This record gives sequence, structure tokens and C-alpha cells, in this order.
Amino acid sequence: MRNILVRGVAAGAIALLSLAACSSEREGGDSTATSGSTEAAKGFPANSLIGVALPAKTSENWVLAGDLFTNGLKEAGFQADVQYAGSSTTVADQQAQISAMVTKGAKVIVIGATDAAQLSTQVEAAKQAGATVIAYDRLIKNTQGVDYYVAYDNFKVGELQGQALLDGMAKKKPSGPYTVELFSGSSDDNNSAVFFDGAMSVLKPKIDSGDVVVGSGQTDIKQTATDGWKAENAQRRMDSLLTSTYNGDKTLDGVLSPNDTLARAIITSVKGAGKPLPIVTGQDSEVESVKSIVAGEQYSTINKDTRNLVKQTIQMVKDLQAGKTPEVNDTKSYNNGVKVVPSFLLPPMIVTKDNVVEAYANDPNLAPLTK
Amino acid sequence: MSDAPVLLEMRSITKEFPGVKALSDVNLVVRSGEIHAIAGENGAGKSTLMKVLSGVYPYGTYSGEILYQGTESRFSDIRASEHAGIVIIHQELALVPGMSITENIFLGNEPGRGGVIDWKVANRRAIELMAQVGLEEDPDTLIKDIGVGKQQLVEIAKAFAKDVKLLILDEPTAALNEDDSQHLLELLRGFKRQGITSIIISHKLNEIAQVADSITILRDGRTIETLDIKADGVDEDRIVRGMVGRELHSRFPDHTPNIGEVFFEVRDWTVRHPISSERLVAKHSGFTVRRGEIVGFAGLMGAGRTELAMSLFGRSYGNYVSGQIFKDGKEIVLKSVSDAIDHGLAYVSEDRKAIGLNLLDDIKTSMVSAKLSKISNHGVLDQVREYEAAESYRKSLRVKAPTVDEGVTKLSGGNQQKVVLAKWMFTDPDLLILDEPTRGIDVGAKYEIYGIIQRLADQGKGVIVISSELPELIGLCDRIYTVFEGTITGEILHKDADPELLMKQMTSAKKAQRA
Amino acid sequence: MSRAKELQKSLFGGTTSNARQFGMIFTLVAIVLLFQILTDGLTLSPVNLISLVSQYSYILILAIGMLMVIVAGHIDLSVGSVAAFVGIVVANIMQDYSIPWFLAVLIGLVVGAVIGAWQGFWVAYVGVPAFIVTLAGMMLFRGGNQYIGNADTIPVPEGFRTIGAGFLPEVGPNTGYNNLTLVLGLVICVAVVVREWRGRRTRHQMQAEVAPMWISVIRVAIPLVVVVFATLQFAGGRIGTSFPVSGIILGVLVVIYGFVTRNTAGGRHIYAVGGNARAAELSGVKLKRVNFLVMMNMSVLAALAGMIFVARSAASGPQDGIGWELDAIAAVFVGGAAVSGGLGTISGSIVGGLVMAVLNNGLQLMGVGSDRVQIIKGVVLLLAVALDAYNKKQGRFSVIDSLMRPFRRDAAPSSASPVETGQEHGKSPVAG
Repeated sequence: MRNILVRGVAAGAIALLSLAACSSEREGGDSTATSGSTEAAKGFPANSLIGVALPAKTSENWVLAGDLFTNGLKEAGFQADVQYAGSSTTVADQQAQISAMVTKGAKVIVIGATDAAQLSTQVEAAKQAGATVIAYDRLIKNTQGVDYYVAYDNFKVGELQGQALLDGMAKKKPSGPYTVELFSGSSDDNNSAVFFDGAMSVLKPKIDSGDVVVGSGQTDIKQTATDGWKAENAQRRMDSLLTSTYNGDKTLDGVLSPNDTLARAIITSVKGAGKPLPIVTGQDSEVESVKSIVAGEQYSTINKDTRNLVKQTIQMVKDLQAGKTPEVNDTKSYNNGVKVVPSFLLPPMIVTKDNVVEAYANDPNLAPLTK
Repeated sequence: MSDAPVLLEMRSITKEFPGVKALSDVNLVVRSGEIHAIAGENGAGKSTLMKVLSGVYPYGTYSGEILYQGTESRFSDIRASEHAGIVIIHQELALVPGMSITENIFLGNEPGRGGVIDWKVANRRAIELMAQVGLEEDPDTLIKDIGVGKQQLVEIAKAFAKDVKLLILDEPTAALNEDDSQHLLELLRGFKRQGITSIIISHKLNEIAQVADSITILRDGRTIETLDIKADGVDEDRIVRGMVGRELHSRFPDHTPNIGEVFFEVRDWTVRHPISSERLVAKHSGFTVRRGEIVGFAGLMGAGRTELAMSLFGRSYGNYVSGQIFKDGKEIVLKSVSDAIDHGLAYVSEDRKAIGLNLLDDIKTSMVSAKLSKISNHGVLDQVREYEAAESYRKSLRVKAPTVDEGVTKLSGGNQQKVVLAKWMFTDPDLLILDEPTRGIDVGAKYEIYGIIQRLADQGKGVIVISSELPELIGLCDRIYTVFEGTITGEILHKDADPELLMKQMTSAKKAQRA
Repeated sequence: MSRAKELQKSLFGGTTSNARQFGMIFTLVAIVLLFQILTDGLTLSPVNLISLVSQYSYILILAIGMLMVIVAGHIDLSVGSVAAFVGIVVANIMQDYSIPWFLAVLIGLVVGAVIGAWQGFWVAYVGVPAFIVTLAGMMLFRGGNQYIGNADTIPVPEGFRTIGAGFLPEVGPNTGYNNLTLVLGLVICVAVVVREWRGRRTRHQMQAEVAPMWISVIRVAIPLVVVVFATLQFAGGRIGTSFPVSGIILGVLVVIYGFVTRNTAGGRHIYAVGGNARAAELSGVKLKRVNFLVMMNMSVLAALAGMIFVARSAASGPQDGIGWELDAIAAVFVGGAAVSGGLGTISGSIVGGLVMAVLNNGLQLMGVGSDRVQIIKGVVLLLAVALDAYNKKQGRFSVIDSLMRPFRRDAAPSSASPVETGQEHGKSPVAG
């Protein structure tokens, strides 16, 4: 009786062994795959798959970038696989998406990281599989696997924001001291600190001289952080600041906000409290904020035209396809913890009510709003 | 009676479930204004027949026809049958405990317009209806604050609110004590005078003989006979014969007790109510049990019999105040159920389904559940031993199931009770406390359970039987204690026991002399 | 119809399985094959299988604990936060004190146990419903994670990453495959055969009807085919990759907990408490202890899952664990557990979790966006549980059937009787 069982099983196993043997990806042991790094110089077919993994659709910019990538890559002849992380399980989603792109054999993977420090396993796997990894807008940390970084010069963004805050307040009230509050971005985003440091490089001297006063005294980035870049978190913090620090007739002259979504949340909060609107900075040129600037509520935003950034990224992909080394303009500043990542930095531009018309003249979506 | 017009006629009703014929060619004729009893063992088809009648099984899922008030009725659901004035009151009451009497009476049938309840009308009608069923309570009282007997009356009032013409009561007195049962039966007679027709399904054959005008007996899904109680001179034995298809010479197996020494004694047992701490549910109770003896605990509902038993069983009810337990001359302290089990106590609860069994289990899992250590080594279960143990009980207790893998919900009440008994026999107890061991069980199974109890006693175990049925205690027990308001009020030997004496001691606080 | 059910019963075992579990396995196979076709064979490719296992092993580990919690009649909403909390604690300790990574894992488990004891205390000994206790825990430990980590991302050392991103190493001669994975597959094959053989012996000892030999052959052959295929795929991945360490951890846990829930008194007690707590108490089950241990166990497993995720992500971040409880709960319910407790199996939950995982993965491979993936997953969860509810409704009728049916005590064992198969729904799958 038992013999039948054993024999049947053995026969099946052998049959299967021979069947599945051909599916091995090892190609007879140690060959090309082990060397890991791709020979960029060799290039790859023009209709290859290009993966683009972006964070959750929490701001207009990511949605726009996704659309631009989809269309731009298609126009260039590539197959595009553009994915956004889910809204709740962002990091795990993005990890899974990158793995899926590797499985599908993407030649280049462009990553706008949800958490820049939690992708090293997937990035290294992508590298192993022979893909080139471009960090888009956010630098991926602690891994050798990232090849290029493309972004706007974020320190410069911070400087511009800080300067705009000072200019705006001076315009409204000729002499200080000015009372301000500071907001920074999500602490899991590598850029948050860069923006904040840039702004502080302008504001710090004024704070030290007493010309600018931070009403709540909260000047540390850990105190000013806005979790997940979420508007509700910024609004909640502003609400608390208004109740704790600006009760009575104490006025608030300016708020440093790292982006437009948060700027509008801050303005909503101030309006809700019935206070006069302070000077509020921003970034990203979101539709609602451009309207707000035209209406005279939000003071400034930064024009980091997503079109240019995507265009630059696609150019790098094209270079890689052709076997050329993509152009970079900074090989020193961006250290991700284990390596200095060659970067291409685009210059940002400050936009206030004064220059809003010229700034968006070429933008089909925004230009009509400024008229 | 027999010349009254026919209100309801069910003709050759056949209802099949996949693979089983629950009803086969059943006929039922109910005349206007009578009380018609339906009797049969569990599984005979009584409930299915009533579900066909009330539209739970809608027209088209059975064959045969229902003539009601002279026309053929095809009920599509319960609402349709209720609309025609047929209301069924199930054994498990359909009341919301947290709502008032008024709210329950009109639940799903609220007076008012456009969904807005007219509470004035509701309250007025509630009071009328309550008077009609003889319920004296504030209509705003919550259901959970009144006893089961009164809840039953609320359920009937609810039926009246729906303008009932044919009232069907499924085991209405199963959960009621003697007094409440009598009250309910009296009420049925009153309805009869008002011209309301009733159908009563009951295991309590004395009640049927007492109140019904005619009776239809079902067996194995078939109509056996319809009898006119008075004209045919029907008594309990006659009904039993029809139900089981054979004569039951005695309702109790012959048994010669073999009683040994006192081995279990409780002294001065006092326990507080778990919530209202000023109430004592057991007051200075004391009793003894001998080896091989069957001891009865008689008492009305709420007398504290169950509470006394459960508090002894590892303090699983109430808060312990004072008292001692002696077993084999040594005092034992039982702080938890597992202590009690380890010291050879077993408690078979009165409510099999709520606290006696895990209804998700199969037979074998249930049977071994109180002593897993017997079938395991270092906590790892031995499934062979489990199967063998369960299989031997299935055979020796004659549990009617094809295998021990059968789910317990598939068993009839009697067979479930056998499973529970097996579960506790498996713990090798010296003392078994059986709380209402034959509740909701049909006649044939009761006889078997009595036999099991006697065999346990013959093995030298002590058995305590708590029961609300006095004939059962008198027929089964070697000695009976009466309990009233948490106190033992009397002790009567088998030879002296008669219902009147017991009833007297069950209803008075005075401690009677030992007879 | 009845023939198919008969076959199903003999293949999957009358008592150890039920229609539901059969349905789920069938669904899993169908989904795998569907995606295998839709993705042009990517689904079952070595690379994808490897990443599938390492992506979902931590969710499946949570599902093991969650199954026991749900069977006992509770729920645990805090697992994601507990995982994140333990993750950040462990990452911090390793950063600040440079202790060896295995010691850090141990510390993480202890922290998990302490958290579990805290939650178990409130649930079991104070009597606060688990829903509330763990909702509180969800906030408490999420806050704890951010307090300790300053909402920052803290990297973990290379050694620690083994448990989440590691693979069976390459040893021995070059066979074109990962040798250790081959050995692992062989061990599993032997285990499958031995298990079937022992099962037959047990049936024999119980003097129960032993299935015909050809049934046993099929019952062994199907898993063997799957195992051999999987082994070759996992062993044939890119050099350096093979069967993930996290998958091994998961496998060991499934075997251990499967055994505990099925074959030990303690496991039996969990089902008893969930099925009818009062009945269990009156049968001598120590209710409080069972509830305490079940809740505590869940947090220990959550700690492990958290550490595996951190290891895989190479860093502990503030968004770790968000939404995990929902994935774990979904896996358990898709796998056939009852919301009211008392029903469900480890293997069912794993299959349920795999259904969700393969669905997620397959859709991602097809390039379906995460928004639509979520919609589809939501629908699948709803349908799976609705099917269960529908079956139960049918089952209620069959319970009545069986009450109506005169029992034939000496009837042959039910597996062959068509009467019986109609009532399959009411069957309790506890033992499986």
C-alpha cells in the first residue's frame, strides 16, 4: 500500500523537477547579473519599460507629475508604468510597487519616495536586477543603489521663502519687531530640513537681533514639523498656537510655511480665529494658492515648475537609453548617508502678487487665473 | 365542540429538506374556538408544521394546501399570516430586554402616522391589552425587570395587539413554574370563552390533558391520530402511547438503590447575590449526600436552587460569605471551577444551550472539554484517545448520531443532554449536580436519562437532581430537600414523598420536621 | 454535485476542513492562475514569488495572532502601532548602544510581551472590551512611536536586516539552484508524506474508515507538486536571492501555531472561550488566563512583524504599521473566521491573507493604481464574508433539517451519504 504512495509521489516529483528546471533565472551560475551595476554605456531598447513610483496623491504636484510622466515617457517611445502609493499604507505600498516594477523588468525606475530612508532594500534589488534608479524630488537615503538625483535646489527654495517672509512683512509694517511662527514639512521627508535650513539661514540673523520674534518660541524643526505633509496637522498646530500664544489682541505678522497646501491650512486656521491675515509663504504653485495670491491672501509661493523637473528627468532617461551618461550639475552636495549622489538641480523662482502674471504666463493651467 | 365550524384545515402537507422528509402527508383540522394540542416527540415535525402554517416556510416550498376560514391561504411570509390573524409565540421569546412593556407590545406594529409613534394611544391600548391577559405591571417597566412568566404574558399581549384569531403557543410553559403555568392555562381557557382559537404545542402532557379540547399526535413527520380529549377519555398514558408508538409501562426505570455512607456535606452555606450585595441567594444552607444516593432539590423558580449549586461548584455564582464543604470527612475549599472538577464535582447546568455547551463544537470535542488533561500528554491532545473516549460514550449512552464528528447543534434536546452528561461523566466525578436534567426533552429520552442517573448512583457516585417537576423528583430520588428563598426548608425520604407535602415545604420558610 | 462534494470531503478531510476552506483554496489557485495569464507569467516567476513572500510575511504573521484573538471573541486594533513602537525602540537601541542584532530582536520581543501583558491585563482582568483597550493602544503606541522617534526615520544595521531582507545563503556545490532552498523543499516534501501516512495510521487506530489509497496519493501529490514547483522557483531566483528568511520565520510560526491551536489543550481552550465563554468557564477553562495570553501573544507577534518590516525597510519610520491591523483582520475574515468568535483556522487565515496578497501583487504587476487596488480588495473582502453569511443562512435550514431527520444510529459514516453532504454548511470547522 505505502509503496504505491511513495512511488507515485516520486514519479510526480521527478516529472516536475525536469519541467520547472528551465525556469531558473540563474543562467548557469555566476554571470552578468552578479556584477550588479548596469553598464549605462550600453543603453537599452527604446521601447523598454520605465517605472515611476510616486507618493500618495496628497498634493496636486504629484498628480500633475504623474500625468506628465505618463505622457512624456509615451511620447519618447517608452512603456510607462506610473504608480502612486496608497493613502493609508504608503511605505509598504511603494515598496511593493517598486518590487513589481523590478519583476516586470523596468530599465529605469524613477522614485519620488514616501519615506526616503525605507526603500533601500527595494532600490538595491532594482539595482541587482540591472535597473537604473533616479531619485525624483526626494533623495533616497542610506543606499548605494541610487544612481541619480533630480530636484529643484531646495536650500535655495528655503532661502527664497525666508526672504519673501521678511519682504512681505516689511511691506505691510515698515518697522519691527515682527512676530512670526515657523512651520516645516514632514520629518520623514529629506527635503523638509533643507527647506527649513534654507529659510533659517535668512531668518536666524534677524531672530538673533530681535528684529523678528517667534511668538511661541518654537524654532526647532522637531517642534515645527508637520506630519505627513498633511494640511489637517498644520491646521491643528496653528489652531493651538492661536489659542495658546495669540489670544487677546496679540498680532501675528508672518508665518513661514514650507508649501502651499500647508499655507492654505494656516490661512484657514487664522481666518477661523478671526485674526487679521499674516504674511504666509508657500511653495509648489498650486491652483488654489495662486488664486489666493491673486486675491491677496497668501503672500508668496515658489514656482518649481513640475513640467521642467519632469522634462529634465525624462531627458535623463533618454540619455540612459542612448547609452550616454546623463548630465548632472552637482556632484558634491547630496550625500545620502553612504554615497554622494550625482544630482541635477533646477533653480526655483519666487512668486508674489507682483510678478504672478509673468511667472505663469507659459502655464496653461495657471495663466488664466492671473488675469 | 366537534360541531363547531372548522377554522383551519391543513391538508396533506409535505415538506422536504434536502435529503430528508420533515413532514409527510400531514393533516390537521382545528375547529373554531377550541384549544387544540399538538403532541409528538422532538423531531416529530411539530415546529415544522407550525412554520409552514405561519409562513416561515412560504407557499411553494411545501406541497399540500392550507384552508383558513374556508379559503385557501398562501402565506408568503410571517407578516402575511399575521395579517390573517395567525400569531405564533415561540419557545424563545421575541422580546427586547432593554425596552418597556408598551414598546415591546407594539414593536413592529406601532400605532401612529407616518412612522411617528402616538404614545398616548400606545399606552392606553397597552393597558387594555395587559388587563386582557391579566398582567399587572406598569407598562413602562422594562422587560428585563420582570419574570419569565410575565414576559410570556407580554408576548401574548403582543399577539392580541395584532388582532389575533388563531394563537399558536410553542412550549409556552417550558420555562414557567407551576403557578405561572397554571395562570397561563387559565388564561387560555379565558381566550376560548372570548372565541379565540389556540394551538398549543407542549411536552407537558398533564397540561394538555387538563386544558385541551382535542389533540393531534405526530410521529416521524406523519399524523398518527386526532383525538377528542373528553369524548375519547384521553389521559397522559394514552397520549404517550400515541407519541412513542408503544406503551411505557413506567416513566421511571426500575431501580433498587444501594446507598452507602455520607461522603459529601455542606454546612452553613451563605452566598451573596453578585450584583445586589444585600441580597443573600443562599442562607445558612446545609445538606448531605451519601454514596449511591440520588438526592432531589425541590423548589419554585427563583428559590435559589441553581444559585446554591453553582456557588458550590467553584464559586461560579455570587459572592461567597461563609460555609464549609466536606468531602470524605475532610474539608475542601473550591475557589474555582477547576478546583471543583479536581475534587470530583460536576455540574450539569439547566441551560444546555446558553452555558452548557459550545454549540460550535462537535460531539467528541464537547464530551472531552471538561477534562482535556485525560486525553493529552503535556498539553498535547491525543486525537485517538479523544475519539475512543467519545465513541464509547456515544455507544453506552446511545447518543443518536452517526459519528462523534457530528455538530452538537444537529442533535435533539435529549441527545444534547446525553452529550453534556457524557462530558461530565468523563471527568470521573464523585458528585454530580444535575440542574433540570430533563428540561425540554421528550418522553422517550427522559426515560433514558433517568436510567443513566440511576446507573451513576449504582457506581457509588452521589447525584443531586434539581427539578421543577415534582413527579420527576418523587419518582427518581431517594431523598428530597426542599428549598425556599435560599434556605433548605425540609428533607423528605422517598417513601414519604408526595406532591402536596413537598409543595407545602417549598412555599414556606418554616423548617419542617423530618418526616 | 454530491459526487464533487464527496470527493472534496475525502481530499480535504471531513472534519479538518469545510466547504469554506476548500472554497478559499480554490479561489487562491484561481487568482494565481488568472494573474499568471494576465501578467504573461510574471506572477509565478522567481523574482515575483520571492518579493511576494518578503512583502507579505509580516502581515501573515500578524494574521496568525489575529486569528487567535478573533477566535477568542476579541479584536486587536493596536497591532500596527505596537509594531511601529517596537520597531522604533529596537532601531533606537541599536543606534545608541550598538548591541548585537539578535539581542535587539530579543529585546523587541520582550517589549512586545510587556505591551501585550498591559493590554491583556485590561481585557482579561479588568474586563474592558478588547476593541476599546486596543483602540486606546493604537493611539498610545502610535504616539509612543513618534515620541521616541521624533517622527524621524532611524536606520538599522546590516545584520538586523537579515530577518526582513535576508535570504537563505548560497552554500555547497553549484547546482544552478540555491542549495539550502532545495533542502528546505525536500524537508517539506518528506513532511507532507509523513503527515499523510500518520493520518492514515491514526484513522486506522480510531477504527474509522480509511480513505482509499488513490485518495491519499492525490492528497499527497497535489501539495508535492506545489512544493516542488515552488522550491525550484525560489531556488532558481537571481544569485543572492532565494527563499526569504522572513518566509522561513513565517513558516515556522504557521507550523507551531497550527499545532498549538489544533492539537493542544490550550488551543482548544481558545476556541471554547470564543464559542461560549460561560460554558467554557463552567468546564474549568481559566477564562481570564486564556484572554490574557491571547492578547499578549498578539502583541509579541506584532513586535516580530514590526521588526521584520523595519529590517526589510532598513529603517524604522513614523508611518510604519499604519493600516496593518486592517490587513490582518481582513486576512482572517477572508480565511473564514467568524466575527462572533469560536470559528477559524490558522491555515484558513494564511490562505485568506495570500488571496489578498496575490490580488494586490497581481494588480500591481498589471500596473493598476493603488486606488483601484483598494477598491477591488474591499469588494473581495465583502464578497468573501457575504458568501460566508449566505452559507450560514443556508446552514440554518440544514440544522433544522437534521433535527427533523430521524437519526440512524448505525448508519455508515457520513462521508458517503448524500443526505449528509447537503448539510455541509452547518459543519463546524473548529478542528481544522
